[in-house]
Amino acid sequence: MIPSSPFLCVITDEAFCPVTLARKALEGGALMIQLRNKSASGNQIYLWALEISRLCMLHGGLCIINDRIDIALASRADGVHLGQADIPAAAARKLLGKNRILGISASSPAEALQAEHDGADYIGVGHIYPTASKEKSTLPIGPETLASIAALVRIPIVAIGGISIANAGGMIRLGASGVAVISAVSRTESPAAATRTLLNAIGTMGEHPDD
Amino acid sequence: MEHNRHLPGRLPRILLISSGKGDAANETALLPLLNHLPPALPCMVQIREKLLSAGELLTLAFDVSSSNLPKGTLLLINERLDIALLADLDGVHLPENAMPPDALRAVSKKLLIGCSVHSTLSATKAEKAGADYLLFGPVYDTPSKRPFGAPQGTAKLAELCRSTSLPVFAIGGITPANAAACIDAGAYGIGGISLFSNPVTLSATIEQCYRIINS
Repeated sequence: MIPSSPFLCVITDEAFCPVTLARKALEGGALMIQLRNKSASGNQIYLWALEISRLCMLHGGLCIINDRIDIALASRADGVHLGQADIPAAAARKLLGKNRILGISASSPAEALQAEHDGADYIGVGHIYPTASKEKSTLPIGPETLASIAALVRIPIVAIGGISIANAGGMIRLGASGVAVISAVSRTESPAAATRTLLNAIGTMGEHPDD
Repeated sequence: MEHNRHLPGRLPRILLISSGKGDAANETALLPLLNHLPPALPCMVQIREKLLSAGELLTLAFDVSSSNLPKGTLLLINERLDIALLADLDGVHLPENAMPPDALRAVSKKLLIGCSVHSTLSATKAEKAGADYLLFGPVYDTPSKRPFGAPQGTAKLAELCRSTSLPVFAIGGITPANAAACIDAGAYGIGGISLFSNPVTLSATIEQCYRIINS
């Protein structure tokens, strides 16, 4: 189940051990960890997925695997997150069944509506602001597009791309159910503390049992 | 969508592996190549396209599985069990650094699972974990594998074949001239990328390899 109050999704950063990062983010109160790695071997991602799933179960978080539905199924992760170049949402839903979570990246109202129609449980909307975490060939969509997508779809939206303490609260006010970050947590001295600060910014500080 | 597991002993003995050169802009040569498969000699076909996104791979897998292939053709894809299930392929082929076969088997019992192995140790491991067949190489010199060291040779192939009860496909620099030595060493079949990459000679090459395997 997607959390009902504003939540934080921490996406793993290839420069750091994803298991360590996930543990710290969960300790800080993140409710969703997305394991995203485009260069590691299938077995390595599978082993990480097993470990992060275990940590998520311990902390009451969700373990979401980027792109690799095969690994999500084999590791019994909570779900997958798919980009527009990955397996299409409708096909993914067939494999995942009703109970596993399907997140889809969307950067336009059309993509968001399609994802909702095809059975997505949430939409990752972005990138909202410029970001250095991923190589981007397109311009940021801006908070205005986030607001217009939020007005169109009924399923939860997770805002992504250049999210910081300064703008995270605004994403929730514009209709996002959560925010997703990579570097705002991974590239800090204390990922757990950064997670807490971000949760504070989106107004959910103190609601998590680990705090 | 229901297939029965194919008994390893009845697998085709030729394994054609795609070149992996297809990408978004430059479509894979696999589909047109498969038009040249000999109609009466079934092959295993392994879709191995590392440059494609998962979405593109799924499209390719659908295109291959819906094309008019010779009866008995078995279709496999590298690693992606999700794509194999969606496109109704026969199985997956696992590189040595992929998820273990038993992890995949827990998700789908019906898929054929092959494993690349480079040593008797990993062959034993793959067999214990439930692999249906093994792919061992490079037996002979092949440009694509030179960065990984010297070829393994037929003596190593023979040692590996003795160590397992699974069918072993030999790969790496195999030609009609040296294929017989692999079969003599105990290989069940012959795998190839470049050996089976030329549409003009594909049919004749497969016929020739089957003559060698069956003689």
